[in-house]
Amino acid sequence: MMREKSLVEDIDRSIYDIRDEEKDAYRMEAGLTPEIIEKLSKEKGDPVWMQQFRLQALQIYNEMEIPNWGPSIEGLDMDHIATYVRPNTKMQNDWKNVPQDIKDTFDRLGIPQAERKSLAGVGAQYDSELVYHNVREEVAAEGVVYTDMESAMKGEYADMVRKYFMKLVTPRDHKFAALHGAVWSGGSFVYVPKGVHLSIPLQSYFRLNAKGAGQFEHTLIIVDEGASLHFIEGCSAPKYNVANLHAGCVELYVKKNAKLRYSTIENWSKNMYNLNTKRALVEENGVIEWVSGSFGSHVGCLYPMSVLKGDNSRTEFTGVTFAGKGQNLDTGAKVVHVGKNTSSYMNTRSISKSGGISTFRSSVVVEKSAQGAKSSVSCQSLMLDSESRSDTIPAMDIRTRNASVGHEAKIGSISNEAIFYLMSRGMSEEDARALIVSGFADNVSKELPVEYAVEMNNLIRLEMKGSIG
Amino acid sequence: MEETMKTKNRLIVDQLPVKTWNRLNVNEAVIEWDEARTADLGTESHMAGSDEPVRIAARGEGEFSRKQVKVEAAPGTRITVYEQMEAEQHFHLHTTLVAHENAVIRLVQLQDTREGSLLYNQIDGHCEENGHIELIQMFVGRGHLYSDSRFTLQGDRSGLEADIGYLGRKDQKLDMNLAVDHFGKHTESEINAAGALMDSSAKVFRGTIDFKNGSSDSVGNEKETVLMLGENVINKTVPLILCAEENVVGNHGATIGELDDETLFYFESRGIGREAAEDLLARASIERLARKTGDAETEEKIAALLNEEL
Repeated sequence: MMREKSLVEDIDRSIYDIRDEEKDAYRMEAGLTPEIIEKLSKEKGDPVWMQQFRLQALQIYNEMEIPNWGPSIEGLDMDHIATYVRPNTKMQNDWKNVPQDIKDTFDRLGIPQAERKSLAGVGAQYDSELVYHNVREEVAAEGVVYTDMESAMKGEYADMVRKYFMKLVTPRDHKFAALHGAVWSGGSFVYVPKGVHLSIPLQSYFRLNAKGAGQFEHTLIIVDEGASLHFIEGCSAPKYNVANLHAGCVELYVKKNAKLRYSTIENWSKNMYNLNTKRALVEENGVIEWVSGSFGSHVGCLYPMSVLKGDNSRTEFTGVTFAGKGQNLDTGAKVVHVGKNTSSYMNTRSISKSGGISTFRSSVVVEKSAQGAKSSVSCQSLMLDSESRSDTIPAMDIRTRNASVGHEAKIGSISNEAIFYLMSRGMSEEDARALIVSGFADNVSKELPVEYAVEMNNLIRLEMKGSIG
Repeated sequence: MEETMKTKNRLIVDQLPVKTWNRLNVNEAVIEWDEARTADLGTESHMAGSDEPVRIAARGEGEFSRKQVKVEAAPGTRITVYEQMEAEQHFHLHTTLVAHENAVIRLVQLQDTREGSLLYNQIDGHCEENGHIELIQMFVGRGHLYSDSRFTLQGDRSGLEADIGYLGRKDQKLDMNLAVDHFGKHTESEINAAGALMDSSAKVFRGTIDFKNGSSDSVGNEKETVLMLGENVINKTVPLILCAEENVVGNHGATIGELDDETLFYFESRGIGREAAEDLLARASIERLARKTGDAETEEKIAALLNEEL
């Protein structure tokens, strides 16, 4: 007898897929040459050191090979990607002054409402530049700096930016880090002074509207000694029939006794190549917590990395990845234990459906110096049909005897017994399946602020809405 | 099945079915090998047919040598093969196993190689409908080891059970790869690896369970336990589950570290100190396999080897 099953529909992307007419003030010609980089640098008014940095990064980009592992990125042709598109507005700190079409887009995405209700500050990037940035007065009064990267690079924090910029993720890290170093634009700079605790989050939202363009924002966050911060990042784009590229870079510095939670809900369109790099350096007793939901993109490679340098520092990574039709999402996390008594915990869920490919990839490295290190990795994968793929590729490299490392992985389908149990209590099969999948992903939703958890659960609910076939 | 890549003076072995970050150095292993100077020690073939186990003394000769062993079990038959692997220099042993319908092949390997030697132990196994392979590997020799095992569960209800035990000492390198492809329906694989690393030994264990499309109702389990006993040991564990079929169950678990406090307390409360407890547990990872063979000759050999080493 054929097994009955729910037909699962794709995510309703109508909110995200609305395209604005392209009214950009400036669009760089596609391709990558030293002349284009020099033009970009001039357009952005870079200091001399940054112009030189960009050119060196371009040289490294040209020297490096495309990685020989991970999903194919053959469909990405850098000769057809515009690396810089400036929107038709300067950065504003009042929504009223943002052009109507851009404002409408962010309104639909709920950004201004979220700012009013639950955020300490907001940055909104449209294509290559920030169009809005604001931080609450009481937060600014505590000395918290939240501004766009360009302003930070030229203003009173110029030395700090120069000290930290691409020192944690260097252009030699991989080919797309080099690309980022050459063409980066936009992004946020955050500095939380010693001992300051932000009780409500800051958020940056990245929107790529331009067809065939790339977004290369740089996020640099420094949480000073004894301070704490929750930073939320959201991203989306309308779908085009040509490839778009996102190669952002996030560098996080968590100082002694500091704590940073970095949450991401990624919902890029399904023509996007999301080749993003995120890394945190954690000092003594510091904590980095990553919460990550990956729902969009055609191809995604995303592995936030924690370097636990200080003794007693720790990291937690909580992630969910949902790969549907036409998606190849290669996600996971990396951790390097350097300090004594450091600890790491990864807890991830992957869901694959309608031919989607979901890969969990991780690495845990425990250096010889990391005496007393503890690490635990747990990954679970759910296959919703046999057209899809789900792979688990973890690696552990342990170089001290005085460590305790555990790993567990499970892969399977929705249990018929669980569906039967729920149906015997009056639920339809469709609702039972939807409930099981939502529950499967609750490791992430329960870690998000309630407004974002609701948004994420809505995405999953829409995904699971279907009929019994 | 992927062929081992041979370059002029190198063999690329133990390749992960799917690559990961190159900087971890786990995608493959490279052996320095001189093909021109390799002595061919011939091929030994065995068919199931008698209740008596087959005992093979596989000994390397000269600087580089290669021997092939072919084992085939016709439908409904059963065969047990013991391979004692010895080497003084570079030795490549290639064993091929074919279990036809309802057949069972049991392969017990005991590595007893000299310090400074290199054993490349290659196994290709294939199971047809309801065919089963049972593999027991005891790596207790002092030489470097590269063990590359690949199994295909082609027929429905076919299965693999692999039990691996090892001891790493001095600057020994133990580089292992075991991959099982599930093609048939209701296929099962069970992989257990356990061992102890001492001194400055380094070990890699790659284990892959690959559920191919169509392998519905299959189950794969993998478990690894590594006891880290030396101050300079390096352990790399790479357990892959690849899945292109909805209705399967795959599990993996790994535990890596030194003796935990609870176990140590258990031993100490019975008057056994840390060092003795570590020796006991290192022995246990091999002795349990020797017992599992049910073969007095193997048990005696293992006991003698362990007494010498621990």
